Amino acid sequence: MKTYDCKPTLTDQQIIEFCKYGYLMLEAVVPDEINKRVIAFCDVHPEGNPNDFLKEAWFVDEVLCNVLAAGAVRSLLGRDFGMPLTISNHRVHCPRTVNGGWHRDDGSQQVPKVNYLQVFYYPQAAPLEMGPTELLPGSHHLSTSSHFMKHLDAIADAHKTAAPAGSIFITVYSIWHRASTATAAGIRNLIKYTYWRTVAPTRDWVIDPAFRLENADFATGSPEPRRDWSRVCHDAARMYLWLRGELDNYEWIGGLAWPATATAAQAKGFCPGLPTDLA
Amino acid sequence: MQKIKQQIEQCIEALRQGELTEADLSAVLDALDETKPKRQNLLYLQTGGTSVGSGAHGCTMVVDGQITEPPDQDNWPYNSPIDAMRDGWRIIEFPNLALLMDESRTYGLGCEFILEKWE
Repeated sequence: MKTYDCKPTLTDQQIIEFCKYGYLMLEAVVPDEINKRVIAFCDVHPEGNPNDFLKEAWFVDEVLCNVLAAGAVRSLLGRDFGMPLTISNHRVHCPRTVNGGWHRDDGSQQVPKVNYLQVFYYPQAAPLEMGPTELLPGSHHLSTSSHFMKHLDAIADAHKTAAPAGSIFITVYSIWHRASTATAAGIRNLIKYTYWRTVAPTRDWVIDPAFRLENADFATGSPEPRRDWSRVCHDAARMYLWLRGELDNYEWIGGLAWPATATAAQAKGFCPGLPTDLA
Repeated sequence: MQKIKQQIEQCIEALRQGELTEADLSAVLDALDETKPKRQNLLYLQTGGTSVGSGAHGCTMVVDGQITEPPDQDNWPYNSPIDAMRDGWRIIEFPNLALLMDESRTYGLGCEFILEKWE
């Protein structure tokens, strides 16, 4: 497996946001000339796994090793991360109607570990009319096999990844997702690939000197209807601490202790539940 | 079916009397339409709690044999199981409490009501 290294680009709070929601959208990070070249390549290689992309230096350099995307991957997977072994293209002819379709990709585990990342890239614009992938934020913390979500359809807090051409979004592998209904006409390509961890997790992303674990924000902006607020915070904190390589130092004591009340507790100079080794 | 049989017998008698009308035959057709087997419509509502008054955050509909995607949430036909019940839907499955007793995990979308209506 080929590996790659570059400078990390994410800060602690950005890592925490990824842990909360399970995805990171990087809009229009791939240049237009590369997007056009990718679309032309897809027209010549319309198969579901156009692995010949991996032989194209321009694709590897500008997409797989894109400075912002690879920097985010480097932040989450550590140095010398493994490059994609295969390339998929969810190439669809629009319009089309989609009912249901929610799934996690095969092999998903409901764990705080981030040993690989599932990444999507739109070489052309993907507005709502072109049926962008729909994600359920935070669903990587839910326990459900894909077989038990086949009857699900509209979900209120799902997020459609409508984005301009050249956008890349990085996800926790186990996030729930599906295609969405497309009302416009045309072909929509969606390139998908996976990066791999090769080193043990450690906190070697961008360090903001002002960051304090005791007042980090682990809550989501709006209430999630499926999990209690304290559970939402705990799940995100657990994943974040695993990424730091420090999960063993953490035990959730429950109640409204850290990480649920981080900000309020900090204001009072008292932070029950904060792992003492990490404070 | 007995009603239709009686209507046809009346039509035969009217024919014999020379009194059969188009309206008589249309009435038989209407009665036949009414005997069409009803179909089971299904409504799945995923909610934030076990109460029938809990707000829905997920919705799937099967209407007239077709899976249909509800419109945006602001336009969902029902906001809670009790909303649907008031419109004639009948609950056929309540949230599986066995899945809700493990507080260390959240399974699926949480509480799920399944309702039906025959039309």
